[in-house]
Amino acid sequence: MSSSSSSTERVALRAQVLSRHLHPSSSSSSSPCLLEPRACLEYSPAELSESIDFDAKAMRKLMDDHNLEDRDWLYGLIIQSNLFNPRDRGGKVFVGPDYNQSKEQQRVMTMKRIEYLAECGVFKGYLTDFSPPSQLRRFALQEVSDSFDHSLSIKIGVHFFLWGGALQFFGTKRHHDKWLSDTENYRVKGCFAMTELGHGSNVRGIETITTYDSDTGEFIVNTPCESAQKYWIGGAANHATHTVVFSQLKINGTNQGVHAFIVPIRDADGNVCPNIRIADCGHKIGLNGVDNGRIWFDNVRIPRENLLNSVADVSADGQYLSAIKDPDQRFAAFMAPLTSGRVILASSATYSAKIGLSIAIRYALTRRAFSLTSNGPEVLLLDYPTHQRRLLPLLAKTYAMSFAANHLKKLYVKRTPESIKTIHVVSSAFKPTLTWHNMRTLQECREAVGGQGLKTENRVGHLKSEYDVQSTFEGDNNVLMQQVSKALLGEYVSAKKKNRPFNGLGLEHMNKPCPLIPSQLTSSILRSIQFQMNIFQLRERDLLNRFAAEVAQHQAQGVSREITFTLTYSLAEDLGKAFADLSIMQIFIEAEEAVPAGHLKNVLGLVRSLYAIILLEEDAAFLRYGYLSTDNAAAVRKEVAKLCVELRPHALALVSSFGIPDAFLSPLAFNWIEANAWPSVEN
Amino acid sequence: MYKSVSNLVLEETCGSVRIYTLNRTKQLNALSFAMISRLLELFHACDHDPSVKLIIMKGNGRAFCAGGDVAAVVRDISKGDWKLGANYFRKEFTLNYLMATYSKPQVSFLNGIVMGGGAGASIHGRFRIATENSVFAMPETALGLFPDVGASYYLSRLRGFFGEYVGLTGARLDGAEMLACGLATHFVPLHIIDKCFSRKTVEEIISVLESKAVEHKDEWITSTVQTLKKASPTSLKISLRSIREGRLEGVGECLVREYRMVCCVMKGEVSRDFFEGCRALLLDKDKNPNWQPSRLECVTDEMVDRHFSKVDDIDWEDLKLPPRSNLPVHAIAKL
Repeated sequence: MSSSSSSTERVALRAQVLSRHLHPSSSSSSSPCLLEPRACLEYSPAELSESIDFDAKAMRKLMDDHNLEDRDWLYGLIIQSNLFNPRDRGGKVFVGPDYNQSKEQQRVMTMKRIEYLAECGVFKGYLTDFSPPSQLRRFALQEVSDSFDHSLSIKIGVHFFLWGGALQFFGTKRHHDKWLSDTENYRVKGCFAMTELGHGSNVRGIETITTYDSDTGEFIVNTPCESAQKYWIGGAANHATHTVVFSQLKINGTNQGVHAFIVPIRDADGNVCPNIRIADCGHKIGLNGVDNGRIWFDNVRIPRENLLNSVADVSADGQYLSAIKDPDQRFAAFMAPLTSGRVILASSATYSAKIGLSIAIRYALTRRAFSLTSNGPEVLLLDYPTHQRRLLPLLAKTYAMSFAANHLKKLYVKRTPESIKTIHVVSSAFKPTLTWHNMRTLQECREAVGGQGLKTENRVGHLKSEYDVQSTFEGDNNVLMQQVSKALLGEYVSAKKKNRPFNGLGLEHMNKPCPLIPSQLTSSILRSIQFQMNIFQLRERDLLNRFAAEVAQHQAQGVSREITFTLTYSLAEDLGKAFADLSIMQIFIEAEEAVPAGHLKNVLGLVRSLYAIILLEEDAAFLRYGYLSTDNAAAVRKEVAKLCVELRPHALALVSSFGIPDAFLSPLAFNWIEANAWPSVEN
Repeated sequence: MYKSVSNLVLEETCGSVRIYTLNRTKQLNALSFAMISRLLELFHACDHDPSVKLIIMKGNGRAFCAGGDVAAVVRDISKGDWKLGANYFRKEFTLNYLMATYSKPQVSFLNGIVMGGGAGASIHGRFRIATENSVFAMPETALGLFPDVGASYYLSRLRGFFGEYVGLTGARLDGAEMLACGLATHFVPLHIIDKCFSRKTVEEIISVLESKAVEHKDEWITSTVQTLKKASPTSLKISLRSIREGRLEGVGECLVREYRMVCCVMKGEVSRDFFEGCRALLLDKDKNPNWQPSRLECVTDEMVDRHFSKVDDIDWEDLKLPPRSNLPVHAIAKL
């Protein structure tokens, strides 16, 4: 018998066996269909009931803005590698760390993933190519690694943007030559020791002290007391070999302020260097994939060349040298480069919100609860006006925040010495706004998906503990917002004193006459760009005037500037928010105007209006200071409901446009019944 | 000799099972337009027929199906309008989508050659039985085309970057390798495939392969490089992007995108490599295609982009796939 006929016979045999399985048995007439078990509650994917009425790919381009192909490539690298914990749920593959692992295991996995990405060439050019396109590519890849796991992107960020950034911006040629390429290929693992147990926001108050020994040509770095121990230093507890340590520099008995020094903390074998003590910060409520450590320096000696000397230097014979005489200005020049952290952070907050909303909205398009008629089917969650009210305004805000983040990134990569100040103010406003928005969104999304939000694997609840830190690090949100009102005040006072028009920080609208708000707010007025711009400009204008007046009043009574600011905090807070909201509104409008006429532009217009109007509804300032009457406020509230109804049909399209791959969401966003079915239970 | 379509697709009923056998043995069961239309009719009919519980697909002779009838497509286009070709692919992709989202199991006996369109008519079904006679390949890049029929969906989901390797090189897999896809190695350590085929661009893939060839002195690596260098440069670039995008899309989105791509290829305005490939490999058989552009560096991003955009033609529209309801779990997961 030839091999082909025997295999044909085998094939025929298999067909017979299968056929016998499926041939209905002669015994009962109503035998159940053996192939398709009937579920009582059937899952129907959102794609079948919802339509996509605009070009979602084009909308994704607006959301992601840059480096789409790079992002998709990195998404693919993560999805296809076993290192990223792929698991099958309900027929789909999802990736995401196993948060059930111990913190030690999670930290090991994080480092393994970074090593894999390094091998794939992800970090090529990170510290050698500083062109704007390369910087944007880095931001894009950070956002993708963030979407996988916040610990992953933080660990990468600490090494490249904090340690690497410090070398780049505070260091000079000798540091670049010695450290940059070793950093890029991970021969050196860096961390960033600025924060201390007793000083976080107030960097200038840190207590680590460094002196100079001109006999040996060495700096001596020391931790003089327990409150001076470095704390929360990502990478320090397990892996880092080097750190940039921020310390007071005392030369010839004079404290010259905060400076940065390179200190090796581990040798190539992973042993902690002499005169250095390292302890673990311990288990955290989230981000256990990052090994945060505490560091004590016991009169550690380092070569003079280890001072990062782009702003100031110490000569071999111990003379302090700096081109910038004023210590305040010197400190500002020092800190300016750290803005990149603030920028990427703000953007990563929007991606976390996008993931939360994608999951919550997709779930709400497939989950039903209660019937509204006696024999009717249960109603989809997102068909309830209450559910729309909870999620759709947050969706609109996330669109706005996304445009804002893209604008900030572009501003940053194209920075000039003249624009640095503006970038500082804008990032100080956007970072708090976007990170607080993210936490608010995640909480609502967790509640909106009910009990399933408690499952770590469903992501949406777990993201809260992972992202909570964003309101604290890279600048405490409250402290940052105060900087915004101070900067606006500075511009105000300067313009008044020099009797010149407002120029800068978007204050030019104050040179025009005060905007008028109609007493009756119809739907079409509320949705008009003109009205929305007017009311936000009115709020900023009025609050700035009031703030300046109150500050002037206190100072006229002899109160110091610093104490005045602690007394005028209510207006300062309202003003900071007014600036942030107006800036973001402006950016959204510009983005919308650039879109050609069509379905996409129409839907974007609805989103923009919902963004503007929900702010009018939520922020008490509008009623408090009389920009809106109580009748206006009622009209605003009605309009929110109308806009939610109009945006409801576009909900799936709007979250699909975020471009987050299915594998990065969670089983809750897809066939959550199948994902929980008995056959999928692991024994 | 003209065969009526009832002879090209044989039909058998066996209780609640329907057995459809491709019967065009002289052309290794290559799918003609008539056969595709017939299969669509049959699958649609069975979809709504409660007496049908299972469909079995087979092929007579030594092939399951060697592919779509591309030679015929090229002949049609040379007589008239590129849209005749587009029509073929529109039907074929609709069949692929129907199979991918089918409510009843489809079992395909891949006892022989299963390539290109033959893969499209079987891989999307629930069960695929491979034998020691199976030979699988997606050979399109050598032809100036790209792995279509929803290949960007299933290749991208093979483990690691095996999908890119199979799609770009047209590598042949036997039955055991088909089964093992994703679990065991091909005939070379899988990590080399992953290291090379995970790179972002075709140029980088070839460059890393070449450096690995020096390092490992492995014949397989050298022959893989040769295969890539013989393929149409335009095909390589669009195939890579297709698989990469397909990884992040549902099966319907993949097919809609592949339809745009194949129409661009049919139109022949960006590149005529498909016609040249068919001439060199299928018609004149001199196996010496003259690709234009002949080098990867000359294939611009703009040229690649055009394959992924809507076709600029008054009568053209995106592939419209039929709405599907009552989907089984495994089909839902593909959306």
